[in-house]
Amino acid sequence: MIDPYYLQQLAIGLSLGMTYALMAIGFTLIFGVLNVVNFAHGEIYTLGAFAGLVVISATAPPVVAVIFAVLAAGALAGFSLERLAFKPFRRFTDEASLKSRAMRESTLLSSLAVSIVAREALELLFGSQMRSAPAEYLINTPVRVGPVILVTGDFIIFGVAAVMLVGLQYLLTRTRAGLAIRAVSNNPLGAKYVGIDTDRTIILTFVVGSMMGAAAGILMGLYYGAVFPAMGFVPGIKAFVAMVMGGLSSIPGAVICALILGVSESMATTFVSSGWSDMVAYGFLILTLVFFPNGLFGARRERV
Amino acid sequence: MTFRRLALATVAAAAFAAPALAADTVKLGYQLPLTGDTAQYGQDFRKAAEIALDEFNAAGKPFKVEIVFEDSRSDAKEGTNIARKFVDDKAIVGVLGDFTSGVSMASAQVYKEAGLAQLSQTASHPDYTKISKYQFRNIATQAQEGPYNAQWMASKGYKNVAVIAEQTDWGQSVVSGYSEAVKAGGGTVAFSEFFNRGLKDYRSLISKIERAKPDAIYTGFFYEDGAQFLKQLQQLGVKTPVYSTSAAYSPKLIELAGDAAEGVRLTSNFLPTDPAPNVQHFVTEWKKRSADAVPGQFPAQAYDAVRIMLAAVEKAQPNPTREKVRDALAQTTDFPGVTGKTTFNAEREPVKELVKVEVKGGAFVPVAE
Repeated sequence: MIDPYYLQQLAIGLSLGMTYALMAIGFTLIFGVLNVVNFAHGEIYTLGAFAGLVVISATAPPVVAVIFAVLAAGALAGFSLERLAFKPFRRFTDEASLKSRAMRESTLLSSLAVSIVAREALELLFGSQMRSAPAEYLINTPVRVGPVILVTGDFIIFGVAAVMLVGLQYLLTRTRAGLAIRAVSNNPLGAKYVGIDTDRTIILTFVVGSMMGAAAGILMGLYYGAVFPAMGFVPGIKAFVAMVMGGLSSIPGAVICALILGVSESMATTFVSSGWSDMVAYGFLILTLVFFPNGLFGARRERV
Repeated sequence: MTFRRLALATVAAAAFAAPALAADTVKLGYQLPLTGDTAQYGQDFRKAAEIALDEFNAAGKPFKVEIVFEDSRSDAKEGTNIARKFVDDKAIVGVLGDFTSGVSMASAQVYKEAGLAQLSQTASHPDYTKISKYQFRNIATQAQEGPYNAQWMASKGYKNVAVIAEQTDWGQSVVSGYSEAVKAGGGTVAFSEFFNRGLKDYRSLISKIERAKPDAIYTGFFYEDGAQFLKQLQQLGVKTPVYSTSAAYSPKLIELAGDAAEGVRLTSNFLPTDPAPNVQHFVTEWKKRSADAVPGQFPAQAYDAVRIMLAAVEKAQPNPTREKVRDALAQTTDFPGVTGKTTFNAEREPVKELVKVEVKGGAFVPVAE
């Protein structure tokens, strides 16, 4: 018989991993699949949480309405982010600029700048203290499953993440839009030459990815009952690690690695001080980069 | 460039004009986090300081006081930069802040060299006032609070305890101050661990604490971390009693944790429900400026710290110098504040009276034991 303590830690780890996965899915779509360096996803997540909170406190609508409002906010945020931090770097359409790595990677700084501005703006607007949603919206009612205790949110997050994963896989592999995304990511110039509207494809990916980021934000806000301007930072890092470990362009890979990350962290807490459990994530990142430069779920593209 | 020259000229002029200016306006510095993760605390300190300052300047004294607020973001590097800036401004005769023990101690090195008095409303690390004769604080240290709480818990029959605290200078002083007292009292510390401030998921840590089967858990955290910890404790169905330090004493703890905060016991030196006129006056003023919110302990400490500093500046009149302000601060005896009477002892430590508080029915209620 396994010690129920370890079962409980495993359950906590899986639930932690699911929360990382939720964030990693949208992040990987933009950063990994579309192959655009974007460090503002954490703020999209935060914006989603705040949008949800504002809607809840203003009108106390049914949950479905909150979700739609958050998705709309995410879409708008994704569109604006692309417009502000990415589009200006695509204004040159000559071959040299399109092939230039510097041009593409300069969005590292522009997206980071947008993220800082967004975070500070939220701080000025809402203050940096933690806020909680009204108790009836929270999704943390305990549920006992055999020897372990989970909360309702764990099942909701699992469901949402599964839908996102399957939906995106369908979009990417079975639809023309998905084909266009992969084409643009593979070779923007080539995609343009064969008549793909690259601008539209990139905007579409940002909108879809950011909608997922915003949904993740409000879900996590309701799951932990804590919404604050800096909330996107740590999940952003965990999602980044999961994405790199999963091989950048593989969304299922990122999800599996997010789960591995969550379980390792909760298991590690048993043996080392909780203060060190973040080390697990960074340790994995380093090990992956050293031994599997292409990630565990082998992308063919070499670029980490 | 011209602006810089202008600024330089102004500084030079101010330096020359200092003795003349001192008769009517005295400058103080206040370093505190106004942006960043801990901005909510700094914003509260500023509000409390403004209340104290407005009252002082409206009281018809022969001179006015001005406070220069600088944002340290709770970052030690920023803190020392601000300290240098304050030291270079010859018109500044005393400094308040910073918020965390870590930043206060880093900045203290600069104030020590320059001989400028520093009074922190919250730095409770035992080593802070040991840095030099210029460091003062208006908060009970963990060397005082730890044994007090250890005794309280022992009186309840909790012999085997767990202690957790955030991984900071302050958190370490919480664990050491408390653990030593427990061991001295014949109890055992079954579990002791640090977590990173801002951790969202405490469930792994909680499971680990529970495996050690403690009678009670003593915690060193602020209200954000506290609320998360208490909520997850409730989620996991853990019924072990929780004790905490005055750092968690904030109405926000109950607001965020809801009924998960029920039964938490902690110490405090400020009760907004205290009928004393000065306390009620502060609470009323605070509510006026904060959309009816009730102040927690930290704003109250800041309010008192600013008033202690203002009293010292007044005592150092006429022509207050940095040294005179320091000496006046050191002589503070029985200062009647909203956090009780404050007297600095020879080590520049305030001797604070602590009150035992328990969360009952969604409010902090003072308890006899």
